[in-house]
Amino acid sequence: MERSPSAQADLRGGVIWIALGAGIAVLSWRMDRLEHMHVNPYTVPGLVPGLLGAGLVVLGALLAWRTIHGGALARVAAPVGVDRIGDFRVVATGALCILYATLLIGHLPFWLATTIFVFVFTAAFDYKERRTAGTLARGLVVALIAAAATAAAVSLVFEDLFLVRLP
Amino acid sequence: MPDGLILFGRALWQFAEPITLVYILGATLLGVIIGALPGLTATMGVALMTTLTLRMSSSQAILVLICVYVGAIYGGSRTAILLNIPGTPANAASCLDGHALAKQGLAGRAIGISTTGSLMGTLIGIFFLALFTPILGDFALSFQSFEFFWLALFGVIISANLAGDDALKGWIAGFVGLFVTMIGQDGIHAYERFSFDNRDLAGGISLIPALVGAFGFAEVIGVMREVQHKAIVHSIDSVLPRFGDVFRYWRTIIRSGLIGTAIGIIPGVGEDIAAWASYAAAKRASKEADKFGKGSYEGLMAAETGDHACPPGAVIPALSLGVPGSAPAAVLLAAMIIHGIRPGPLIMVENPQFVYEVVVMMMFATFGIYFYGIFLVRPLISVLKLPRTVIMPIVFVLCVIGTYAIAQRLFDVYVMIFFGVFGYVLRERGYPMAPLVLGIVLGDLLDKNLRRGLVITDGSLVPFFTRPICVVMVTIILLTILLKIPAVSTAVARARASLFAGGAR
Repeated sequence: MERSPSAQADLRGGVIWIALGAGIAVLSWRMDRLEHMHVNPYTVPGLVPGLLGAGLVVLGALLAWRTIHGGALARVAAPVGVDRIGDFRVVATGALCILYATLLIGHLPFWLATTIFVFVFTAAFDYKERRTAGTLARGLVVALIAAAATAAAVSLVFEDLFLVRLP
Repeated sequence: MPDGLILFGRALWQFAEPITLVYILGATLLGVIIGALPGLTATMGVALMTTLTLRMSSSQAILVLICVYVGAIYGGSRTAILLNIPGTPANAASCLDGHALAKQGLAGRAIGISTTGSLMGTLIGIFFLALFTPILGDFALSFQSFEFFWLALFGVIISANLAGDDALKGWIAGFVGLFVTMIGQDGIHAYERFSFDNRDLAGGISLIPALVGAFGFAEVIGVMREVQHKAIVHSIDSVLPRFGDVFRYWRTIIRSGLIGTAIGIIPGVGEDIAAWASYAAAKRASKEADKFGKGSYEGLMAAETGDHACPPGAVIPALSLGVPGSAPAAVLLAAMIIHGIRPGPLIMVENPQFVYEVVVMMMFATFGIYFYGIFLVRPLISVLKLPRTVIMPIVFVLCVIGTYAIAQRLFDVYVMIFFGVFGYVLRERGYPMAPLVLGIVLGDLLDKNLRRGLVITDGSLVPFFTRPICVVMVTIILLTILLKIPAVSTAVARARASLFAGGAR
């Protein structure tokens, strides 16, 4: 499904880019110019990031100006084509993945963390369809097999073949 | 030329071992599967496989990555033909006639055309890869800091202009990409920039974790957003490619091959633009233009030849200038650097054989897709029925462990997560990813060469604007930017209209 970004989102984006660019430019300006090392002033570390920050301010301002010029502020912020199910799936996917990568990995043995993640992911996203079809138990078994197989295969390949010490 | 032939022969000989066949068939199959899964792109496949091939020798690793790249572009056409969903953005143009043919019960014929187009397109691209890379490499030997600075900016600006619908957002994405490379120690004084006393940030943002995030994780989120499309597989007639098609559409094949290669050479402009441009050119030149979009063999042939000529074209500037021609080529370039190869103007001096090894690898990848185009069409259709609820968590596990395996530090995993979420939000807001990638690849080149150039000239900007190649690049950059300003483009269109009207009188 194609979703076109709203004008309000573009306006917010423009403001964020201006703020980010200004922040980069200020930090670059305040960056050490290494005068105590007598470096050539044209090689100061803040030169290029400072120019990029300034460029980002200009581009962000252009985006905001274009959006305002196009009537973004005049229009009522009516949500167009809200896809609540899609949004929920995005949040659920992001949350499960981030939880796996930040909380499970490094705190549980890799094989266990991966088994839990793949099982929960598959079972959760299949739940509705499986329940409607009356194959919930089968779905859980499929999820468990997929999870165990993934954990075993990835552990084996990375640990024994690539000699990576897993987290 | 004899030197080239000798180097080509040596490159061919280097791969004359049975394991090569395993790598070609395995990697191409993986690429075809990645390409066939809607939402997963060639860039994601190459980025993910870069992390999985770190322990291989450089030649074997790059062979695998090239096979995945070419295989993914080919695999995407299956989904386009059978489901009317481009497997990768490169196959969007193939949907028009490919799916129309499938609905007429000619899915096998469409797949056969796709195989022939892919084969011919890649071969044309390979010819120019072998021909142009040494020439461009020799030419680039005259480049100094001034030219390299403009080249880096040229890549980001042009890519932003052509990669998406909104050039302004493309430029913003490109600038953000360039800024990402400013984090960590700078390349001249080793001064820590934007690290905020964080030891991990002081080491800089590694390219591969950022790309695995921006393509791998972001694509996992994007794919899971949509409910899975049921694969409606039409009856498959004969899938065998017909050589008669080559003779019947030879003009279309050559034209599309040239367009695809040329678009591949332009920095950051990828296979999707190559396919659309080839399709549009074929439609303009065709005697059966009315059939385009309703199941035209010629239209499908043009799109498939164009997008497959692009990968070899995209590798030409990557090898000879160190500036990638497309997003997957950017990852390929990063992989080459990780494996100790230094793409750029010196490659024809330091490592000329590698250029011909890449030519041989592209040829092998072509044979790989031809093999699967003939023998494994029906089993590969079952890929379309794989449940994404099982595939996507596995892809994410590989994203995590792949980025971790590079330096065995969890910081890279967090970088991947950040760029995944950031990349997804940018995509949803209509920002193209190719300029961001190009920015991350070219940031260091831009930073060092602007400062070096200023040191050489003692602060004078004159050589940046007066050296012949600089003048050409500055002119193109300025025209590119100016023509995106509505008032300027309207005035140009008006002037052109009045000029032609005057000519007609």
